[in-house]
Amino acid sequence: MHVLGVIGRGTNRETLERAVDRLVDELSTRGRVGVVRYDATIADGTPTVDQSSPTVGGDVTYELGVDGDWLASGTGLSVRDALDALATDCDYAVVTGVAELQYPCVLVGSDGDRETATENEDEDEDGDEVTEVLARVPAVADLESDAVADTLERREPYETLESLVDRVKTSPHADRAGAIATFTGRVRAKDFDDDDRTEYLEFEKYEGVADERLAALREDLESREGVYAVEMHHRTGVVRDGEDIVFVVVLAGHRREAFRTVEDGIDRLKDEVPLFKKEVTVGDEFWVHDRE
Amino acid sequence: MTVDWKLFADLAEHAGDRHVTLDDPGETVGDALETLLADRPALADRVLEEDGTLRSQINVLRNGTDVEQSAGLETGLEDGDELALFPPVSGG
Repeated sequence: MHVLGVIGRGTNRETLERAVDRLVDELSTRGRVGVVRYDATIADGTPTVDQSSPTVGGDVTYELGVDGDWLASGTGLSVRDALDALATDCDYAVVTGVAELQYPCVLVGSDGDRETATENEDEDEDGDEVTEVLARVPAVADLESDAVADTLERREPYETLESLVDRVKTSPHADRAGAIATFTGRVRAKDFDDDDRTEYLEFEKYEGVADERLAALREDLESREGVYAVEMHHRTGVVRDGEDIVFVVVLAGHRREAFRTVEDGIDRLKDEVPLFKKEVTVGDEFWVHDRE
Repeated sequence: MTVDWKLFADLAEHAGDRHVTLDDPGETVGDALETLLADRPALADRVLEEDGTLRSQINVLRNGTDVEQSAGLETGLEDGDELALFPPVSGG
């Protein structure tokens, strides 16, 4: 799933909505689209003013029809939770109302042009990457949705363990597969009890080469006897305490091949793919290989 | 001839740059490395042993392939080559 943020910079709600509509229309021609509308002004306990909300009962409510159409409402969901839920089902997610998204975005409004004066607009003064801006459109008429969509598709997708598991199940050999084994790498907050807590990790990748090596590794693993499909995903950029970093998923005829291939998969990924980890704790910041 | 160096992790920090273009890199990868390090003492300090040889954990790639798989630092350069310098990988 590819995630696209739509952010207003000196514009009104109506214009922003029209921009969202245009983008959703374009993306809908290419796949299933999820829309996440975040409203930072809705505080805890304030009921949303939405007449079409389903009758509330329980902490999460689903209303389903025989045809599969549904409405839902509930509590305790974050934007990330919403994206995780969409990742298995949708090819695209459009997010509005989030000022700084870690995913590519479109800026709508007259202030978008005055965003920054630095040469490379995608970096702050430390040269660190910030949100990539795919387009700055003062007016909706300036929006080239197809070009934005084309560029979006070349960017890192948003994957979860579940989205990868779903994908391996679509393998043409799934009929012969009796096993799925997975590995999840996550942020380890502490190496020992008194350790400074890791606030986040930051992963840098060698663009192009990392993807080639990952693709070659995947092909190699899939060529094994009894292995039918392998999916892997490693996040880049900031990964916070509590979040997952990397997934390896293997679909195989039997469990022995599945377990072995998952283990080899993550071992080789860590050994062969040019990715670099920086760790940021409360008191410190360091590149991980320096400490090993 | 022009070659591009891509630098990663703390090597980029020591160099103050992620991307360096050399207009006169020399004939070999080793020459290009020397040229890169000539104006970057902090980076040189980080990647070279005391005797001036490259620290063994530092990786050098030419167009995505480790130079150890060809002629090491003696590997010849071609115009437009993309070279990369990085410490041990640490994904996962």
